[in-house]
Amino acid sequence: MKEYRLDCLGEACPIPLMKTEKKMMDLQVGDMLIVMIDHSCAMKNVPEWARTQGHNVDIEEVDDGEWEIFIEKVK
Amino acid sequence: MEKKTEQYDVVIIGGGAAGLTAGIYCGRARLKTLIIEKSLMGGLATYTNEIENYPGFPDGSSGLELMELFHKQAKKFNVNFKMTDVKSVDFTSEVKVVETFRVRYEAKAVIVTSGGKPRLTNAKGEAEFLYDKGISFCATCDAAANTDKEIMVIGSGDAAIEEGIFLTKFAKKVHVSVMHDTGKMDCNEIAKADAMQNPKMSFIWNTVVEEFNGNGHLDTVVLRNLKTNELIPVPVDTCFIFIGYLPNTEIFKDVLPMTKAGYLVTNEKMETSIPGVFAAGDVRDKFLKQVATAVGDGAIAGYAAEKYIAESEMFEMQILNHGRPSLAYVYNAIDATSRAYLSVIEGFEHEHPDIKVSRIDVYKSDGLARRLGVSKLPSLVYINNNKIIRKIDDINDLSIQQIVE
Repeated sequence: MKEYRLDCLGEACPIPLMKTEKKMMDLQVGDMLIVMIDHSCAMKNVPEWARTQGHNVDIEEVDDGEWEIFIEKVK
Repeated sequence: MEKKTEQYDVVIIGGGAAGLTAGIYCGRARLKTLIIEKSLMGGLATYTNEIENYPGFPDGSSGLELMELFHKQAKKFNVNFKMTDVKSVDFTSEVKVVETFRVRYEAKAVIVTSGGKPRLTNAKGEAEFLYDKGISFCATCDAAANTDKEIMVIGSGDAAIEEGIFLTKFAKKVHVSVMHDTGKMDCNEIAKADAMQNPKMSFIWNTVVEEFNGNGHLDTVVLRNLKTNELIPVPVDTCFIFIGYLPNTEIFKDVLPMTKAGYLVTNEKMETSIPGVFAAGDVRDKFLKQVATAVGDGAIAGYAAEKYIAESEMFEMQILNHGRPSLAYVYNAIDATSRAYLSVIEGFEHEHPDIKVSRIDVYKSDGLARRLGVSKLPSLVYINNNKIIRKIDDINDLSIQQIVE
């Protein structure tokens, strides 16, 4: 089980989601991707997209207006 | 991975306007409170570019900014936050259980403020282009990416028209598909007048979406004229859908009573049919869904949860009195007759040190009276071995002595 980090700081929609979708293809089942974002718009589509794909999603607010989205690949 | 268990007084499902307000009330009442939000704190209001009808902000505010203030205020009262989605709930026992994929949360009370989600058109091809592939539900999120592009808005309610006007600041052309006859919209008159005068907006009346087309990314929305059935292909870069909302209540199916459309049914105290489970905000079946009404609901639910927890503790500890004899005087402090008996009750208390006497004022909450099945005030209830032995509403020196015999 590997952990990957994806730096999307400073990037506006739809870039974080496009990068996340691409990166998830490299992951194996059980791996975790941590997407770092600071545009609130990405909080609306990245977790939602990941959940519709069936993955587990957890989010940490690391600072005001800065988040880490944890996506565990489950299939 | 084994799930860990955490205990809270109150767990609030959903961090929108209703949930954050309920959190402020619970936190301020010093209850250990958790708000679980699946994505961005603030809920659907954060999708709105401008909120002009929330009192206290005469110059308006963006939905995101307003919700950041709500969030900040809840943090001030030590509310805890967890950002993940709720997988399941179990409300069958006294301790309520709310599960996420990593944690099992146990709570004395639960407030459901899970709100709504944008409704889809269900037209052909829609699923293919959701999120970053050309179909959006959030103008503020995707406006900048559509600078000098041609876009479409579906709908004619407040959200559709107001967000459409906002989008004209970025896009070069905003096509609006309206299902009604020429000139008829569902939005407020101010927005309608602004939209009709906006040179960048063009309306396509009597139409609904037939199909979304594109190769990897949306490039054409095909509309259908409801009267002539004519198909109208409109090339656009992004399509914004604002055709209303659906309640987020899938996990409460067969758990909480809901309407046919899936909205949760509560009374005016935000109580569902399960004691200790409340619902507030857009997820409720109600007349008007706005930030202003969500705040009112949230305040009531937070207060009701606090009262429920306090009353449960009082009922367990004091009234049931661990199975030993107990007398409850249920009264209303603003009623003079009720108050007059207080001295009689005091006299009884002195004569019977073996019986625990509780005075229950229903003025602020009738929860305990309801648990004791008392409707007429004032009333006396005698309890022994955790059971109600006798109830009287005709109180005098003699009847008060007889009740314990």
